[in-house]
Amino acid sequence: MAAVGPTTANAAAPPANGKPIRAKSMLRRRPFFSLALVITLGFLLCAVFAPQLTPFDPTAQSIDAMMMPPGGAHILGTDSYGQDILSRIIYGARYALLIGIVSVALGAAGGLFLGVAAGLASGWAEWVLMRVIDSILALPSLILAVAFIAILGQGVDKVIIAVSLSLVGPFARTVRSDVLQVKVQLFVEAAGLMSIPRMTVIRRHILPNVLFPLFVQVTVRVSEAILVSSSLSFLGIGVTPPTPDWGLMIAEGRGFVSFAAWMSGMPGLALALLLIALSIIGDGVREEFDPKLRSDR
Amino acid sequence: MTNKLPTGIDHRKILEERISAEIGRRTLLKGIGAGLLAAGGAGMLPDLARAQQNGHIRIAAIKHIDTLDPHFTFFLSAVQVINNIHNGLLKVTYDGETVRFEPDLAKSWDLEDDRTHLFRLHEGVKFHDGTPCDAEAVKFSLMRVKSGTPASPHAWKLALLNEIEIVDPLTVRLHFAEPYAFLPVALTGSTGRAGTIVSPAAVEKYGMDYGRNPVGTGPFKFVSWRDNDSIELEANPDYFEAGMPKLQRASFVLIDEPSTAVAALVSGQIDGMTDCPMQLVAQVKNIPTVTLYGEIEGNYTYIGMNNRSAPFDDVNLRRAVAFAINRDTLLKQAYFGLAQQAYSPISPPMSGYYDPNIGNTNRGQRFDLAKAKEFRAKAANQGEIEVTYIMAERGPVGTRVAQTVAPMLSEIGIKVKLELLEPAAWVQRMKDGNFQMLDFDWVADLDPEETIFPEFKTGGSWNYWGWSNPEFDRLCTEAQTIIDVPTRAALYHKAEDILMDEAPIAMLAHMPVYKVFSKKVQGFNYIPCDLVDLHGVSLA
Amino acid sequence: MLAQSAGRIVQTIVVLLIVSGASFSLLKLAPGDPVMLMLGAEFSQESYDSLQHDLGLDRPVLVQYLTWLGNFVTGDWGTSYVSRTDIFTVVVKEALPVTLTLTACSIVLAVAVGVPLGVLSAVRKDSVWDTGVAVFALTGTAFPSFFLGIVLIWLLAVQLGAFPVMGFVAPWDDFRTGMYHMVLPALTLSTYFIGMIVRVTRASLVEVLDQPYIAAARARGEPGWRVVWVHGVRNIAMPVVTMIGLQLGGILQGAVLTETVFSLPGIGQMLTGAVLGREYTLVQAGVMLTATLFIVVNMIVDLSYPLLDPRLRPR
Repeated sequence: MAAVGPTTANAAAPPANGKPIRAKSMLRRRPFFSLALVITLGFLLCAVFAPQLTPFDPTAQSIDAMMMPPGGAHILGTDSYGQDILSRIIYGARYALLIGIVSVALGAAGGLFLGVAAGLASGWAEWVLMRVIDSILALPSLILAVAFIAILGQGVDKVIIAVSLSLVGPFARTVRSDVLQVKVQLFVEAAGLMSIPRMTVIRRHILPNVLFPLFVQVTVRVSEAILVSSSLSFLGIGVTPPTPDWGLMIAEGRGFVSFAAWMSGMPGLALALLLIALSIIGDGVREEFDPKLRSDR
Repeated sequence: MTNKLPTGIDHRKILEERISAEIGRRTLLKGIGAGLLAAGGAGMLPDLARAQQNGHIRIAAIKHIDTLDPHFTFFLSAVQVINNIHNGLLKVTYDGETVRFEPDLAKSWDLEDDRTHLFRLHEGVKFHDGTPCDAEAVKFSLMRVKSGTPASPHAWKLALLNEIEIVDPLTVRLHFAEPYAFLPVALTGSTGRAGTIVSPAAVEKYGMDYGRNPVGTGPFKFVSWRDNDSIELEANPDYFEAGMPKLQRASFVLIDEPSTAVAALVSGQIDGMTDCPMQLVAQVKNIPTVTLYGEIEGNYTYIGMNNRSAPFDDVNLRRAVAFAINRDTLLKQAYFGLAQQAYSPISPPMSGYYDPNIGNTNRGQRFDLAKAKEFRAKAANQGEIEVTYIMAERGPVGTRVAQTVAPMLSEIGIKVKLELLEPAAWVQRMKDGNFQMLDFDWVADLDPEETIFPEFKTGGSWNYWGWSNPEFDRLCTEAQTIIDVPTRAALYHKAEDILMDEAPIAMLAHMPVYKVFSKKVQGFNYIPCDLVDLHGVSLA
Repeated sequence: MLAQSAGRIVQTIVVLLIVSGASFSLLKLAPGDPVMLMLGAEFSQESYDSLQHDLGLDRPVLVQYLTWLGNFVTGDWGTSYVSRTDIFTVVVKEALPVTLTLTACSIVLAVAVGVPLGVLSAVRKDSVWDTGVAVFALTGTAFPSFFLGIVLIWLLAVQLGAFPVMGFVAPWDDFRTGMYHMVLPALTLSTYFIGMIVRVTRASLVEVLDQPYIAAARARGEPGWRVVWVHGVRNIAMPVVTMIGLQLGGILQGAVLTETVFSLPGIGQMLTGAVLGREYTLVQAGVMLTATLFIVVNMIVDLSYPLLDPRLRPR
């Protein structure tokens, strides 16, 4: 997500409502947006340069340093295996961003396919696709994820797949309603009358108008994806320990809350910070670029 | 009654070793004490058999409870409740040093010869539904275990029982095909389960639903059970043991999340926990208002290796693993320094079989990196070996053993790939033999028979490791029918030595099992086989 | 009208069929055997075989599904493998009221907190208030609910002793105690939705406040609070209600974790246990019930539009 924010600002800048929006002025108008951007970039840097930044190996255990409170050599303390929490949080940025971005990308792709298909189909095909989407939405998604994990096995990749599958339904519904709106607009109907090939219509007219709202939804869903993956860790079926994943760290540390709160509290704060930053960026981007919300600025 | 057989075994002596013969007098004295106190308070003639019942205890049960049918349950968490509703022919007692088997519903227990046991029952004992607990009920219950339909999973414990003879309405004589060393455990109402006596009328009435409507003779009557909520019991005012129970009500509150249970305990919403996971012990020890009970129990934990296929079909590689695990580190890190190193399966509470000095002998397995490397050098595969270790959030310490052991094995050129499974999938993989390494625990045993034979005998249904050794099988089979403890112990030690040397498993630890009660709870009698005995418990 | 209702019913039936088939096959595809899980560590082949036969699990999967479906539609929801109790009683009479109580309390709390905050931040758009509310709302959505629950337990229940730690007391037996026990779980579950409701309220109200009729009301000299609360808020009911309907799935999902942390005997905890224990019939009952709930609530949301927005009323 972090990388997407600024690049979109440039890419989407020129056309839309004719008057160019300068990213610079936007940053000035929205101080929190800048702060959020800095935080997200910080986590992104952590993810990329984790090996260079960490004071300790994130999975190195030490029985001499079990459950050390924050301070001293271990700035954020150690967990019940003597693993350095700061190092694990820095490495954890990798997994959080990976799980968040990849599962949302996969979920969005699936939702886009299903949503466009349902939006454009007619007759019984539309009816069937609609019922499929309804069913996906009606199935409790955490239960769905648990079942998928049991079938696929475990690991970061499996968690990503399970989480992305639980996101397909909501994406598909948004996309479909956008397609329906676009479909009845004049230029699409005109293209249909001019017997332009169907795929071309989809590519030229439908997709561009559907992608933007989809992208806006993505920012909210990234947070959701990371939270779902941490819930899976709470149920004991998430990312494989001792992977330095924040959700796993929070889940493993929860039994020590009353006397070693840092074990779950530190990764919890890191997670909250990233999610808050992502939401602020998402809101900012949406309010700046969403045609519906931009009316009077 | 007791007579000496030509074998030269003194059954009376054996029996006296097993039971404390003074049982009747001891409980009576206790009962009189309680009765006098009650009388003093009430200022009227004491009724020695009746206790004053008041107070409502709420105890968190963290582990899954399957059924309250003693003959069909598979879980000790269920026995913890069942034990307060039912009695057995025998019961397990503990005085802080020795585990004993004493008559429970039986007033006396005599060996007429090495395969004939005579039980005289207490008079006037009634089930909670008012029907009498007599010789017929005993026979009915034992037959329900031995050959009932559907089959009880504990039927094997009475496989050697040939005949149940009703001598008179309060006397039964059990004829066994062979001398049966495991009998005392089998006939208890607690961990053995096979000796628990249930109301024939209730079994008739409820059928397979008996597990949700248990009717026993115990100090508490079953009231209700709501899933994920609680199991409610109330005092049985007609209980046959004098002065018990002291509580009016008991609730087992079903709580999934252990840290919630501890929080509820601290805030006083519950009065105790049937189990305190090791990771919470440090936290619980800091709570001034509670008492932690716990000792090393009859259990052992180990790394199981799949002996059927490469790489662990190689005995030298298995030995290398057994010697490569640093037990000190493991005990501190995986078990929070609370467990005790296990050198072999037979565990401390098995008086007469366990050698407290085993650490100073050369028996069993231990950490010795030099030796591990030596065996590693003899292994067929000299390259780096990658093995998959399956783990799940289950058992006493979840994935902690796996996470601790994995880096240790890299010292001997074994690269461990940890695979986290959902618990149901983990059980399936273990049962199917679809694994290379895993860690497992065998808990709440009181006799060496149950602790090593079913797990390691050739083709045994719990022998997940695919290990087989005819000499081991022979030694254990022989030990089954020997009653004399030293002779039997010698056979088991020989069997254990073979097992430890061939190392289908790498021994890790004997674990303490904890119970926590608020200081308000008085008279809790800790018994080291995971029981929650509420018979004499009261609330201050 | 009649044809429309018939269509709706057919749609619902088809969706429920797909849902039941999908959850049944997913669970059957997952490794794990309920018989083995029920038997624990110590069992023999004979007891395995007899239990498997008793539960009907030795028959082909399709037969199992069709048998279940046949029984289900005729009102026989089966018996739980483990507890041997009637599933309809366990799920509908015991677990469902708990989850509904929790969900209802959370939604009420979320609306009670979220709407005023959303209004505040829309009226004071781009002010410190707006930012403050945004940060507050975002913080709530940024913690995993199980973690938030445990932290609330230790802070508010244990340290301050202000609320009970866990457990469910039926509000219809004892309303005050019931609600008292519901405070922390509802707070935990609602935080995520408070954030969402704040966003929706703010976004919609910002749009509404730009509408000509608001300007007209202001021009008529109506007081500011009246303009916002009467003309403004009345017009944001629809998006808020829509969002609650759409998020119901999420609420039920959050209930799984909240119920586990606070030890509430609801559908979420029951369903997780049933999935992990491979209690096929119990899972089916739970899934069918939550799916039906989801469909019904969304139908109610659809039907309520004309009530909330006069423009949609049939003329």
